[in-house]
Amino acid sequence: MKIVHMECEQVRQLADSYLSDELIVETNHQIISHLEHCADCRRELAARRELRTRLREAFTNASENQIRPEFLSRLSEQLRDQALGRRIDSARSADGLRLFHGQRRIALLALAACLVLAIGIALIIVWQRTSLFTHPGPQEIGQKGSTPDNSAPGSGVPVNLVKTELARSAVGDHRDCAIHFRLEEKPIDLEVAGHKYDPVYINLAKAVLPEGKSPLDVEVVEAHSCIFEGRRFAHIVLKYRGRLVSLLVTEGVPEVTPPTTSQSQVIACSQFDGYQVSCFQTARHAIFVVSDLPEGENLGLARAVAPSVYAHITRIESGV
Amino acid sequence: MLNGAEKQDSSSEGDALWDAFESEAMPHAPGLFRVALWLTRDHTTAEDLLQETLTEALSSFHRFAPGTNCRAWLVSIMYHRHSKRRWESRRLHLVSDAEERIAETIPFEPPTPQNVTDEEVLSALDRLPRAFQEVVILADIEELSYKEIAAATKVPLGTVMSRISRGRKLLRSQLAEYARAHGFERFSRARVKAVEEGE
Repeated sequence: MKIVHMECEQVRQLADSYLSDELIVETNHQIISHLEHCADCRRELAARRELRTRLREAFTNASENQIRPEFLSRLSEQLRDQALGRRIDSARSADGLRLFHGQRRIALLALAACLVLAIGIALIIVWQRTSLFTHPGPQEIGQKGSTPDNSAPGSGVPVNLVKTELARSAVGDHRDCAIHFRLEEKPIDLEVAGHKYDPVYINLAKAVLPEGKSPLDVEVVEAHSCIFEGRRFAHIVLKYRGRLVSLLVTEGVPEVTPPTTSQSQVIACSQFDGYQVSCFQTARHAIFVVSDLPEGENLGLARAVAPSVYAHITRIESGV
Repeated sequence: MLNGAEKQDSSSEGDALWDAFESEAMPHAPGLFRVALWLTRDHTTAEDLLQETLTEALSSFHRFAPGTNCRAWLVSIMYHRHSKRRWESRRLHLVSDAEERIAETIPFEPPTPQNVTDEEVLSALDRLPRAFQEVVILADIEELSYKEIAAATKVPLGTVMSRISRGRKLLRSQLAEYARAHGFERFSRARVKAVEEGE
């Protein structure tokens, strides 16, 4: 094999990969051949090897990087139980018995409790929706801080909007995206989504908090576009009084609801799954403010950001 | 009911699974914890992440190919779990252009300094941009190959190689700078002492 001789500079460029054994055989031979007659490069390689060893030892032995022995011991026991638990379960399954390993039993009990809870919630929701749409009244559609004008049907208040699946999706998105980070699909940049899906998303974050005109002590934590149960939202995550608040914009509003036209008509409030929802709408978009703040505070925040958001969206909808 | 032979079979299955896992995977727990700690920057969260990782690894241990790098396999699972817990885009620090430029503008590479202390090395590592720290830790401390790092972090191989090269170079430059400054101080102190002692 003919060996092409390397210069010192080339050797030093490849030295780290050589030490990591990441080079092909021919290149290794070229480096070895160079090292045979170059003391400087030999020293440099030895120094790099030494530095790497020092780095590894320092990092590995650093006291703050040590795992707690009691944690490791407990974890090891738990994993061993898991390995043996699988054996026990499969044996019992084969035996047709219904005996469960301790942790599995707890998990199943929790699952059963969740099912009961879910059925209960579903029944309540069905009951609420039935009673709402047949006998809408202030207690059902309004909230403590809203004026009679805000909650009166037919005055532009999004009575239907607040109780729709859209509102439910908005709450789900706030919960699964802003709070628990567990959406199936990764969110994308809001401006990118604006160019791709809906132009009202572009500069929406700036519209929420216009420069120098921050309505309250509100801070934008993140702005992206995400999907919850097949519906795309523009999602501005805000921080207000130590709580995460979602401002969600999505296309599509119930046909029966006329768009709101001013701040005073902006809000209807409701509560789903423990979260407060305030909402308003434009001709083509529904806007939700969701949080676990008290009703009045959630509503107040929604009212504060509504004018600029409303203006931003309607301007783009009308093609201005 | 299970007969005696069946019970014995399933018992030995579980024991064999645990024996294999204990000898292959568990020795990597301390190293995995360090990676988890680096990812989460919090001891409690790192313990949770390690627990999730090993639990998942045990339940899918049949997929592990004996003879391959178990540590790399476990690190991949850990990154996957971490990614599920916190989307990378939210929690991981992306390499900014500025950081890339820092690494690009190292004027020349001085000789690698020798006789540096643990504190100096760790301090230099800590000052690296986070994306470079990541690959240096995985490659030079946890000893994963470039391909294994690319697979675990879901970063293209070329980017991994480029970051490792820049990260190592930046680390050496920082240490060289530190050694120059402190070496001079040490020299000065030694000289003053020598003069005082009348040498």
